[in-house]
Amino acid sequence: MSRGFGWHELLYVLRGLGWTLALSAMALTAGGLGGLIIALARQSRARLLRIVAGGFILLLQGTPVLMQLFLAFYGLAVLTGFRMDPWPAVILAFTLYAAAFLGEIWQGAIEAVPRTQWEAAHALGLRRHVILLRVVAPQAVRLAIPPTVGFLVQLVKSTAVASIIGFVELTRAGQLMVNVTFQPMLIYPLVAMLYFVVCWPISLLASWLERRLDVGRRPVGRMLGGT
Amino acid sequence: MERRNLLTAGTAAGLLAAAMATPAAAQGTAGSTAGGLSTLDRIQRNKKVAITAEVDSPPFGILDSDGKPDGSEIATARQLAKDLGVELEFVQVNATQRIPALLAGRVDIAISSLSITTERAKVAAFCAPHGALSIVVCGPKSSAIANAADMAGKRIALTRATLEEATVPKVAPPDTKLVYFDDIGPTIQALLSGQVDGAGMSAFAAKSVADRNPTAGIEVKFTVTTAYYSAMVRQADESLRHWIDTWVFVNSHNGVLAGIYEKYTGVKLPPLPAI
Amino acid sequence: MDYVFQFGAVWDHRWDLLDGAWLTLRLSGGAFVIGLWLAGMLAYARETAPSAVRIAIGAYTELMRNTPLLVQLFVLYFSLPSLGIRLDADAVALIGLTLNFAAYGGEILRGGMLSIPPGQIEAARALGLSRWHTFRHVVLLPALRVAYPALASQFVLMMLGSSVVSAISATDLTAITNTLQSTTFRSFEFYFTTTGIYLLMALLTRAILALGYQYLFPAARRNAPA
Repeated sequence: MSRGFGWHELLYVLRGLGWTLALSAMALTAGGLGGLIIALARQSRARLLRIVAGGFILLLQGTPVLMQLFLAFYGLAVLTGFRMDPWPAVILAFTLYAAAFLGEIWQGAIEAVPRTQWEAAHALGLRRHVILLRVVAPQAVRLAIPPTVGFLVQLVKSTAVASIIGFVELTRAGQLMVNVTFQPMLIYPLVAMLYFVVCWPISLLASWLERRLDVGRRPVGRMLGGT
Repeated sequence: MERRNLLTAGTAAGLLAAAMATPAAAQGTAGSTAGGLSTLDRIQRNKKVAITAEVDSPPFGILDSDGKPDGSEIATARQLAKDLGVELEFVQVNATQRIPALLAGRVDIAISSLSITTERAKVAAFCAPHGALSIVVCGPKSSAIANAADMAGKRIALTRATLEEATVPKVAPPDTKLVYFDDIGPTIQALLSGQVDGAGMSAFAAKSVADRNPTAGIEVKFTVTTAYYSAMVRQADESLRHWIDTWVFVNSHNGVLAGIYEKYTGVKLPPLPAI
Repeated sequence: MDYVFQFGAVWDHRWDLLDGAWLTLRLSGGAFVIGLWLAGMLAYARETAPSAVRIAIGAYTELMRNTPLLVQLFVLYFSLPSLGIRLDADAVALIGLTLNFAAYGGEILRGGMLSIPPGQIEAARALGLSRWHTFRHVVLLPALRVAYPALASQFVLMMLGSSVVSAISATDLTAITNTLQSTTFRSFEFYFTTTGIYLLMALLTRAILALGYQYLFPAARRNAPA
């Protein structure tokens, strides 16, 4: 007899949710670091650095996350002769993904700080990296917060793709429970609701922050739609 | 602006090409480590073996009520690790990942009802068979499929990288709509939700689906082929393969393999040939 | 194990991959066209309809934007049949992508519409233009001009996101790649190549859409980012 959907099954799904959150948090942290490096590289005076960083962003924004995952999963173990577990491969893929998107958002925020700020600081005799750190960064951070929070929603949703390679996060946990209980009508909408419960408050926060921080320019944040 | 895009596109391509060029230089040796240590030696030294766990494939691999892997192939893997005297690490895979995981070095042995076919033997090595299965097309009572020809115009679900994927299309009439999923779970779901008129899978899986869903009225329509299945290892791992062959030999004579097989499939283990 | 890269298998199947690329383009294109039309309706209704409808649209938009596309597809494909609604995988893929795109498109268009100064609308009405005419020429077309870059971006995002339809057995580039790699065991070679194909498609569509912008809105002030 197929099992009914009871406490055990619900707990399994919730554990999957836990993994989704853990994966998102790790990708955000490591990706945040990476994004910072990318954004700074894009500001660098060394042209090669700017181009490589730009190429990285283009590569990761111009290809599906699913493909990036497949490549990390199958490719890395082959390339390095290193026995990859699914967990590190998944973290790597989403970290790179987050680094590219955050790098672009933060670069956009840096560029959105009016040129006059740079010029004035320069006229005052401040050196380039000091200007970046003390004058531009604080303003850029303000501009960057709403789209960064918005991207967090994007990131959490994208982790669903990890289910396709068998990583047991929320979506896969739901799938496995459907296979065991044969109740897709109950479980998939439940899974959708769990994502909603996590993502919607973050979306609302992003909107509130955008209004509160009085960010006039739209393009950096709004263009981040995503699926 | 156009030039910058071109430049960054070129860099992106360059990054891809660089990623591709490195393995030509660095030969990924997942099977043998530097110093010529064989996989079997490495397993014994580290006291750890990694084996595939397909948990979406009843009765070979399922999840029990605690969410832990169970099933005939899971039990077989556990017994093998125990007899090898090492700790077992299960790596969850879906149907399409069984052999790639082995080739990529994520697992040392693939034990997931891998039927013996010459196609698969091109890329990895089969050990002595420890089980047998048959591939059938099954469906609800309302699907009128008595033989292969009746599949004409119907939707039949298949799982990728399985024996059914290799054999069912060969007997299906040209206007059959074959629908592919990456894992057995979704294939079963598609069958039960009525998205397809029939599905190809092992007879054991069909029985498992039918038993757990009496209201769906799933029945076996016809048999496509039969096969023996065995563990697989990488082609270079000869010592490991010999060990597993020996292990199968011993356990097919002391009733251990028969016991596991019968417990999960409900059927007596047929006599196992050598490979 | 010495992994020898064999791209020969990929080359042998190049036409299958190109077929797949075409399928993906067709699917995304279809979802874009229908989704854009739907988005226009939603944006209009969001401004003009009674509040019950507006709330419903808002709920729909928030739901689509805060749940993963993959899960939306699972619900459409696996859950709906329990209610008697059975749709074929490719149909579900198109519907799912369309509904998802319309939610984002609606928001983008709404943003564009809200950027039109109310004075323009009042002036148009004062000049005797009908509601429909006003909407079309004073609101919708300028809004489209403002929204175009974001919509173009969203199209590329959707096209890349469409790769998940393979999980419900719809046929697209990813699905074909999956089948090919599972029968030839050349996983890395195929995934690498297909990633390149997606990248090419993304770059090409972005370039074409950028050209389209110049063509459709020649008088527009070009301050859109790359």
